[in-house]
Amino acid sequence: MTMNRIVLISGIVIAAALVVVLFVGLGKDPSIIDSPLIGKPAPGFALKAVGTGETIDVARLRGKPAVINFWATWCGPCYQEHPVLVQNARVLGSEVQFVGVVFNDTEQKIQAFLADRGSAYPTLLDESGKTAIAYGVGGVPETFFLDKNGKIVAKYAGPLTTEELQANLRKAMQ
Amino acid sequence: MTATLGRFLILASVLISTTGAMISFAAGRKHAPEGVRWAQRFAYAYAALMILATLVMEYALLTHDFSVSYVAHVGSRSVPTWVTIVSLWSSLEGSILFWGAVLGIYIAIATYLNRDQHVEYMPYAIGTWLGCGAFFSFLLSGPANPFLTVPAAADGPGPNPLLQNHVLMVVHPPFLYLGYVGMTIPFGYACAALLRGRLGLSFLKPLRASLMVPWIFLTCAIMLGGWWAYEVLGWGGYWAWDPVENASLLPWLTATAALHSAIVLERRGVLKGWTVTLIQASFLLTILGTFMTRSGVFNSVHSFTQSPIGPTILAFLAAVLIFSIALLAMRIDTLEAEGRIEGAASKEGAFLFNNLIFVLLTFTVLIGTVFPLIVEAVKGKQMSVGRPYFDSMVVPAGTALLFLLGIGPALPWGRSSRQQILKALLPPIVTGGVLLALGAAFHVDNAWTLVTLFAGGYAAHVTLAQMWQPLVQRMRRGDTFSSALVNGQLRRGRRRFGSYIVHAGVVVVLIAIAVSSTGRASHEVKLQRGQSTTLGAYTLTFLGTEVRQEPNREATIANFAVTKGGKPVTQLAPRMNQYPQMREPIGTPAVYSTAKGDLYLSIMNLEGDTAGVLVLWMPMVGWIWIAVIAMGLGGLIALIPSRRVIPSEARDPVPAGDASALRASA
Amino acid sequence: MIFLFVLSLLQVQVPDAQQFVGPPKGVPISGAMLDQRTNETASLLRCPVCQGLSVADSPSTMAQDMKHQVRELLARGYSQEQILAYFERSYGQFVLLKPKFQGVAALVWLLPVAALIFGAIVVVSKAKQLERGPEPVADAPVEDPYLARVRELVEKS
Repeated sequence: MTMNRIVLISGIVIAAALVVVLFVGLGKDPSIIDSPLIGKPAPGFALKAVGTGETIDVARLRGKPAVINFWATWCGPCYQEHPVLVQNARVLGSEVQFVGVVFNDTEQKIQAFLADRGSAYPTLLDESGKTAIAYGVGGVPETFFLDKNGKIVAKYAGPLTTEELQANLRKAMQ
Repeated sequence: MTATLGRFLILASVLISTTGAMISFAAGRKHAPEGVRWAQRFAYAYAALMILATLVMEYALLTHDFSVSYVAHVGSRSVPTWVTIVSLWSSLEGSILFWGAVLGIYIAIATYLNRDQHVEYMPYAIGTWLGCGAFFSFLLSGPANPFLTVPAAADGPGPNPLLQNHVLMVVHPPFLYLGYVGMTIPFGYACAALLRGRLGLSFLKPLRASLMVPWIFLTCAIMLGGWWAYEVLGWGGYWAWDPVENASLLPWLTATAALHSAIVLERRGVLKGWTVTLIQASFLLTILGTFMTRSGVFNSVHSFTQSPIGPTILAFLAAVLIFSIALLAMRIDTLEAEGRIEGAASKEGAFLFNNLIFVLLTFTVLIGTVFPLIVEAVKGKQMSVGRPYFDSMVVPAGTALLFLLGIGPALPWGRSSRQQILKALLPPIVTGGVLLALGAAFHVDNAWTLVTLFAGGYAAHVTLAQMWQPLVQRMRRGDTFSSALVNGQLRRGRRRFGSYIVHAGVVVVLIAIAVSSTGRASHEVKLQRGQSTTLGAYTLTFLGTEVRQEPNREATIANFAVTKGGKPVTQLAPRMNQYPQMREPIGTPAVYSTAKGDLYLSIMNLEGDTAGVLVLWMPMVGWIWIAVIAMGLGGLIALIPSRRVIPSEARDPVPAGDASALRASA
Repeated sequence: MIFLFVLSLLQVQVPDAQQFVGPPKGVPISGAMLDQRTNETASLLRCPVCQGLSVADSPSTMAQDMKHQVRELLARGYSQEQILAYFERSYGQFVLLKPKFQGVAALVWLLPVAALIFGAIVVVSKAKQLERGPEPVADAPVEDPYLARVRELVEKS
């Protein structure tokens, strides 16, 4: 019996390409989006801090590495992550500047949350959501790590653990 | 105990299907009639085991036996009985069990219908079917086992709330399964032809019937999915080119192409290898579709069905791909053409063009769906291929198909003179023009929609002329109307009649899609109680919200009064359903359907007495659902066999002097 | 004076498109035209928290925020290209529902066209082959035992 070469080769090419692509795709989570901002200067903003009312300008964070954490009171995993941030902020506060940014939320709810769970760094309210958009925030919580020159070196999506936080901070401190 | 019984039945089905497959393939090679009988027995046994296992699962669900793992996963005492019954397919393991049962039923019916015929093909077909069945039984025995024993809890979480939200969600999955799983049967026949090294024209009958049945189900399933998205998801659309939607469309495209190339095969005895390839592709695409829906690789509306069995399904896909390609490469050349075609400017040429477009569409939709994966695998970058891409690619192809729906059936078979061709192709232009004028009269200003209307009018003219041709011919010969109707259309001409009904449905669907997409009007507004808003001729007044406690959910309903020209027309009540286990409520829009179009109201947000709503006017949407149902009915009409099949009797060779015996069996 | 100056320094300031894509290239628009263009542009942006829905279609708050920003930028006179570039800068190509005709992404537009040309060639050559008709009988006989038996009987008689 003769082998139809055209069918064989075209069949193998199509099948192999398809199976390989799908196989590679299996290991990945399609909802995690890479940030194009890594390596670029962090977009500047100045927002009001909840509670104190003072305006904090991100440009003033230069000189020290910074952690900008986007979250909201309606986000379940943020509850999980908050103690990790607070604890690390207390320990590292002199070397690293922590900042929280909340969007699509109200000042009352945020204050209630912080009163309940503690706070160790300023939490800013982004009323229009524009800051979140400028940072390419796709969901909450998302955390950006900046080096001392204001450049974004890493982005972490999802609730942080101490290990992840410190691993990313190491990148920021280099 | 129930769980143990279930596990036993599944293990038995693994044994029966693997043994049966091997015995059937051996019987195919040996041509022994006893072997064929054994293959049939294994087929029936497999079917019986899968049906029993499913009945056992339904029993466990209905008696709330929470010691069975699947019941613990999706069962609940607080949902209505019908929800309990359909929760069989609400989650992965149960849906694989359902797949197995549907496959068993299909195999049993196909085996029974061909029990005394095509004995040279059937063992190979049964072997292929049982081989596929073995995979699903294997899944059920291990990676996706619904019958594990767990400590019995008092109650369960109930199935996914989306299943309980709307009746269409009850109907869509079974239709989809009947369509998807059904593609295994023609796949078996195609493999049988390749394994045998022959595709006799008498074998076309079961081959085409087995392709038509799942095609009808799949057509309806795709429409039901779109209708569900429209009625439930609230963004006013029915097709988003979501990866899972595309997964259901791909096998439909190749199956439609195969149905058409089979017509050329029947008439001219050519395109055997090509038809077989398309049939194999249809089956392979259903396995790809299952993988896409369940693997977690794609970001999609269906993500609630994601599960860890992705790698296993991928392995099966790879295995059937290798099997199919090897079989094709080795045997396709044995399927010899038995005729020829006489020229491209003919119906045959139109069929070839039809196949070209359908295969191109399949390729494009597939490429668009997997392209982000390819780019990520190769370059590590993430990108999206969304609706704007698919619309730009598919719309021109759809328009070409609409023109072809007119040109193809109008062209005669075989070679014809230039005059004959013009005589066939020119008159429908008038009807095309009429529809175009109608559109302009209705203020259609989108150029593409106008082109669609013209092509639709052209195609409608040809379709109706061809559909009623038997009637007209009989009446010309002197028959009465009723006798011509019954004999020409219903008793004898069912295949033609049914097929043209399907075509008519397609024409309406394509026109309705064009009109509803381009003639859509929308308006987003925030209303206080008592305030009104208008869209087109309708005025909607927000009456207020009410909260209703239902057994399985809490519903917040926003009531609206709708008036047209001052006169009350209807009440619309879009709602937000809060299910206990979900964080965000699921919104259900309210739709008021008329022949002209739908008034569509969806809640965007509700705060106290203020409702943020999206009001849409969607012209001609209802026509889409009705036309697809007509397509399904047309398919059914075409499917009903015209002649009782009498199994051929002369099977042993007779002395050479009697040549008629040689022609008795093909 | 100094007080006002200091006060202005303490103004809340959010990142603005101007920093990233420059000044608006088009003219400011409003009214029904603005609604329509917002819808058009929003349909080309992917909602980052949804499963494949566009910003125009998604009810989620993130998408609503993005839609408001699109609207505002259009009202200020930004062109569709600039707006898409702005979102692409923060979210990456992921947020563009219509793949850019650039680099690897251009392939998704070219491959179907190539397939069309290739397919047309295949169909035409197949049609020509089918016109020629079936090839003369193949060399090796088909192994069908029935036929073999018939041949046997024919030869015997």
